[in-house]
Amino acid sequence: MDNENSNSITPETGERTSCKSEGRFSPNAIAELDEIITHYPNKKAAMLPALWIAQREYGGYLTREAIREVARLLGRPKAEVEGVATFYSMYNFKPKGKHHLEVCTCLTCGCVGAYGVVHKLEEMLGIHLGETTSDGEFTLSEVECLDWCEAGTVIQVGNKYFGHVTKDNVEMVLEQLRESDDHTSPSLADDIVKILLPKGEPKSKVE
Amino acid sequence: MAELKLLLKYRDVPGIENIDVWESCGGYEGLKKALTMERSAVIDEMKISAVRGRGGAGFPAWIKWSGVLKHTDAPHYLICNGDEGEPGTFKDRELMLKLAHQLVEGMIIAAYATNTDKGYVYIRGEFVEPAKSVRKAIDQAYAKGYLGRGILGREDFNFDLYIHMGAGSYECGEETALMSSLMGERGQPRLKFPHGALPVDAGVWDSPTLINNVETYSCAPHILRNGGAWYASMGTERSKGTKIISVSGHVKKPGNYEIELGTPLMEVLDLAGGVIGGKLKAIIPGGSSVPILPAEKCVGVNMDYESCQAAGTMLGSGGFMVFNEKTDIVILMRRTAEFYAHESCGKCTPCREGTRWMFKILDRIVSGSGQPSDIDLLLNVCDQIDGRSYCPLGDAAAWPIRAGIKNFREEFEYWITHKKSPIGGDCVPPVPYRINPALIPLS
Ligand SMILES: Cc1cc2nc3c(=O)[nH]c(=O)nc-3n(C[C@H](O)[C@H](O)[C@H](O)COP(=O)(O)O)c2cc1C
Ligand code: SF4
Ligand code: FES
Repeated sequence: MDNENSNSITPETGERTSCKSEGRFSPNAIAELDEIITHYPNKKAAMLPALWIAQREYGGYLTREAIREVARLLGRPKAEVEGVATFYSMYNFKPKGKHHLEVCTCLTCGCVGAYGVVHKLEEMLGIHLGETTSDGEFTLSEVECLDWCEAGTVIQVGNKYFGHVTKDNVEMVLEQLRESDDHTSPSLADDIVKILLPKGEPKSKVE
Repeated sequence: MAELKLLLKYRDVPGIENIDVWESCGGYEGLKKALTMERSAVIDEMKISAVRGRGGAGFPAWIKWSGVLKHTDAPHYLICNGDEGEPGTFKDRELMLKLAHQLVEGMIIAAYATNTDKGYVYIRGEFVEPAKSVRKAIDQAYAKGYLGRGILGREDFNFDLYIHMGAGSYECGEETALMSSLMGERGQPRLKFPHGALPVDAGVWDSPTLINNVETYSCAPHILRNGGAWYASMGTERSKGTKIISVSGHVKKPGNYEIELGTPLMEVLDLAGGVIGGKLKAIIPGGSSVPILPAEKCVGVNMDYESCQAAGTMLGSGGFMVFNEKTDIVILMRRTAEFYAHESCGKCTPCREGTRWMFKILDRIVSGSGQPSDIDLLLNVCDQIDGRSYCPLGDAAAWPIRAGIKNFREEFEYWITHKKSPIGGDCVPPVPYRINPALIPLS
């Protein structure tokens, strides 16, 4: 099913990001994946971890090359990899802004002011939910319960959580983010990959 | 019966995330004791304790444990369900973030008891900080010889523990969907008993598998250290021990409160400082999937499996959400339906289509286009989903909506007749000013 013309996950807006000219994992990424594969009875089970590595390697979202590379490394059909990746909401198929704000509007947060926070953010950033600012700095999304309800309204920005956010203090969140160099999507993926790896350098295995 | 800290006892001890501090609080003693016992004797302690699964269904833990041990062939697998996604529930997050060693110790005990040498902690992708704590605890446990080969000098006991991170899917908390996800597939459920095998016989990779919730495993060190009979001395006749209740919403002090099972529901509310912003209107006591209780039905209900059921709701995962009189139940139900429509995995028709229809109808009502027949239509959709879906997510989507209508029907009627909220303009959640097309692709 190696259909080169399949465009179902091609980013709509454009440029293929820089980092992977030949569309391959870096040697470090391959070593990480090799280590992770040893955690499971078969390679296929390393699918989610491999997609996390890919999300980091390809700059925060899964390009066609990323899917092809995961398929190649795990020896699975491309269509299968794409099918799995598209099931999960945390894998991106389009570039996100440098800071990806995910505001929880679920039950508790929704009842303690989350919508006010969303509307204030829309106003301040000049975008609607699901959109990215034209300078590429911020993407604004709505998410389901982040299970941090005691601190509602909660906003997740990758590995950072902001609790007790209100429409009156949300400006501070933006200020803090503007000062941060973190690029939400790749750095979240990187954190997750590190969590999967036991402490110490990944042991690279020769195949 | 009241607040009773067992699992949360050491939550606020400085440095408790470090193995030395955990050990100085009696940590890993339960494991050491377990290793002096026969495997089946460990399960007997679990049986005497009568601890039930804390992930929602309340199934006796020991039955699953002994189901795995009885298989003498093939590898066994141990899974911890740390996918916590149920709106209103946040106990597993705190247990992993602050007390990861308690969980790791519980899993090692379970591994010994079930003769298992490989385990996975499945953690939802959003939980980066809690997962980092678990990572640290696992690494420290390896360094101390509690994990790995020949644990504590026992040549016949090896156990490797890995972390598997999810990637954003509520359905992956359902145990068979979780196994699909662990095996590298879409997070969709697998055929269940009696049509398919039980996980304890053929779970992940077709091997005997034990899957328990974070809180369930976290009970094991205490049960082993102090004995099953001691654990069973707490709680009610059929609901033993303690339960962590995650209190959120319109209360003064939201947070996790551990109570003895059987504690009056209203006492939990008091623990959390009582209602703020107006009078109490309703409580959802066990996470978004369980039926809502109007204020007048809350009195006299106790927080245990049986009492909650008798009151027409469920203890569930302990996600205790409190709503004051400013809450518009119809909009709350619309948001609940939106959650399930968004999280339905799409495998079976009643849930995939039904959850979307429920959301569409509720959305129509709060957009001012509701029709008098809509209430019965909603109930009809609930009936079409409940009991007809492939996994319990469908049922869990129907129950809250049905209970919302049953207990607050006049608010639905008000919306349909007057095309505005019975609460007024400052209701919560606020009247949606626009449907968000990004969240649910309605094709
Ligand atoms: C839609 C759905 C979501 C679930 N989510 C979770 C969850 O996040 N965590 C959990 O422990 N159990 C969850 N469960 C329950 C699990 O299927 C399973 O019963 C539980 O992990 C068993 O562990 P226990 O016996 O220790 O409770 C969910 C069930 C369903 C139907
Ligand atoms: S009820 Fe059906 S569609 Fe809904 S989550 Fe379960 S299997 Fe998927
Ligand atoms: S409802 Fe927002 S974190 Fe749970």
